[in-house]
Amino acid sequence: MAWNEPGGNNKDPWGGGNRNNDGPPDLDELLRKMQQKLNGLFGGKPSDAGDGRPGGGSFPWSLVMIVLAVVYGLWGFYQVDANESAVVLRLGKYHNTVNSGLHWNPPLIDHVTKVNMTEVRTERTTGQMLTEDASIVDVVLQVQWHIDNAESFVLRVRDPLKSLQEATDSALRHIVGSQTLNGVISQNRTQVAADTQVRLQEYLDLYQTGIRVDVVNLTDAKAPREVQDAFDDVVRAREDEVRLQNEAQAYANQVIPVARGQAQRMIEEAEAYKSRVVESARGEAARFTALLAEFQQAPEVTRERMYLDAMQEVMSNTSKVMVDVEGGNNMMYLPLDKLTGGASGGASQRTQVTPQVVDEISQRVMNQIRTEVNNARRSREVR
Amino acid sequence: MNNNKSLFVIALILLGLLALSASAFVVKETEKAVLVRFGEVVRTDYEPGLYFKIPLVHELRKFDARIQTVDSQPVRMLNSENKFMMVDSYAKFRIVDVGRFYVATRGDERNAVRLLAEQINNLLRNQFGVRDLHEVVSGQRDELMAEITENLNKTAQTDLGVEIVDVRVKRIDLPPEVSESVFQRMRAGRELEARDHRAKGQEASERIRANADRQKVVIESEAYRKAEELRGDGDAEAAKIYAQAFSKDPEFYRFSRSLTAYKESFKSKSDMLLVDPDSDFFRYLKDSQGK
Repeated sequence: MAWNEPGGNNKDPWGGGNRNNDGPPDLDELLRKMQQKLNGLFGGKPSDAGDGRPGGGSFPWSLVMIVLAVVYGLWGFYQVDANESAVVLRLGKYHNTVNSGLHWNPPLIDHVTKVNMTEVRTERTTGQMLTEDASIVDVVLQVQWHIDNAESFVLRVRDPLKSLQEATDSALRHIVGSQTLNGVISQNRTQVAADTQVRLQEYLDLYQTGIRVDVVNLTDAKAPREVQDAFDDVVRAREDEVRLQNEAQAYANQVIPVARGQAQRMIEEAEAYKSRVVESARGEAARFTALLAEFQQAPEVTRERMYLDAMQEVMSNTSKVMVDVEGGNNMMYLPLDKLTGGASGGASQRTQVTPQVVDEISQRVMNQIRTEVNNARRSREVR
Repeated sequence: MNNNKSLFVIALILLGLLALSASAFVVKETEKAVLVRFGEVVRTDYEPGLYFKIPLVHELRKFDARIQTVDSQPVRMLNSENKFMMVDSYAKFRIVDVGRFYVATRGDERNAVRLLAEQINNLLRNQFGVRDLHEVVSGQRDELMAEITENLNKTAQTDLGVEIVDVRVKRIDLPPEVSESVFQRMRAGRELEARDHRAKGQEASERIRANADRQKVVIESEAYRKAEELRGDGDAEAAKIYAQAFSKDPEFYRFSRSLTAYKESFKSKSDMLLVDPDSDFFRYLKDSQGK
């Protein structure tokens, strides 16, 4: 039992056996021989069994061989999925790359590495980096990639993923280093991503990683936390600028129409004044002309009539004090301050001075004057 | 006889297996191998495949044939402006002459990596020392890297048996104290910008308001002018009309106008008139003959 453990786990028994018989090692020949030997075993099985059994007690070698061969044969089957490729090394040497399907390769001789070719994977890099204007910017970048060349990916570079990380870091920092801060943050974001993608692919090809970059996204590019408040303030200032303009515009939009309205009002009022003045002039002129015509018909009478009419109106509408000042030697007391005070007196009293009060005062004054005048006359008559 | 024969076969096979496992080896696509005999390199030109050696006499050393990385630690470097910066770089290399590589590193890859890292740092230091920050960050990054790669290749290939595929600066960072001053500068720049925006906003605001105020004044004064013109027109026309009418008999006009004036002037009860009874108006007050 002990012997078949190394034999089962190692390819060497077959190769070794052949080599001892056939001399220098040649891989293809070796395989061929092996195949022949296997065929021989299959074909020779009955006779071997026949020989073995009569011998009695002899171990059934052929059976063991057959079982081993079957196990070995089944062991060599493997499946490659639709999204995979498998890189086959035969005795360490690159043999071929196979695509989806069921495949068989001799185990232990061939070494199969399967890689997923269609899965899009994501690599992220983030950090503070320097820009062209020696500012610092916080960038988060995402790279989506897939394996393009399975052979390169498996065989050419020791650690493709680490290479990808390093190349991403280097390419991104290179591109950011040739952009200004404002460019990275706002204007040239897409440009940064595109340039990084080109450069990154260049590096990956140079390192033979077999990786193809699908998309590079500049997920985030902003000022570092340490200066974020200052950047926010710029945004606020921009809004302030717009707000101030809008407020001023609103003011203008209000002031000018109001002024226009007021201007129109002034003009309308002037028009009204003009009409009023002109029309009243026309009216008065017409009235005068008409009156003049009548006056010229009978000047004396008309004049007299008009005079008397006017005097009547004046006299009937005013308080009258008739003074005969011929007798200049008579002292006459007229309480003019009271008379006028009652009429146009202090502003403080004006509200209380009703027409009745004025009438009453005037009446009293008139009475007093009358008695004075009568007295004077009587004294004159007496003389 | 049969039994003996099979025992012999078993022994033979076992012996063969032992010899084989000790002597056969596979060189993979990803490997380079050196066959050493008592410390002396015997063979290095192995293509991938199956090979044999003499056990105990030959010793086999395998190395990675793929592209490998020298990832050095960030190093503090002085630039031409005498400012420090932290430079993090990596290099990609591949063993091309495995015999030389084995001899130079005494079979230890880590030695090679250490040696390369030292050389790279040295070259970077030289390159950075003659350039300022702007040049290494943006302007001359590619040239710098190409120069270092080329320089390194001259020695690496002959000394270490490796080919330098690429040397890259991963990151150039400022030390914290310098970063702080950069942040201050950035902050100052932003403040400038913010102030500029606000001032521009005020400028625009003032301009718009002043313009509106001016328009208001212009509109109002124009209206005033028009209004005064209209009033003047009206007054003039009225005067003309009056003159035409009244010049027909100025004396009568004076008379009738005076009467109107009297009526208008003394129309209130509170107006007081001191009247001489001898006036013409009272002519008939004393005497029906008016004498």
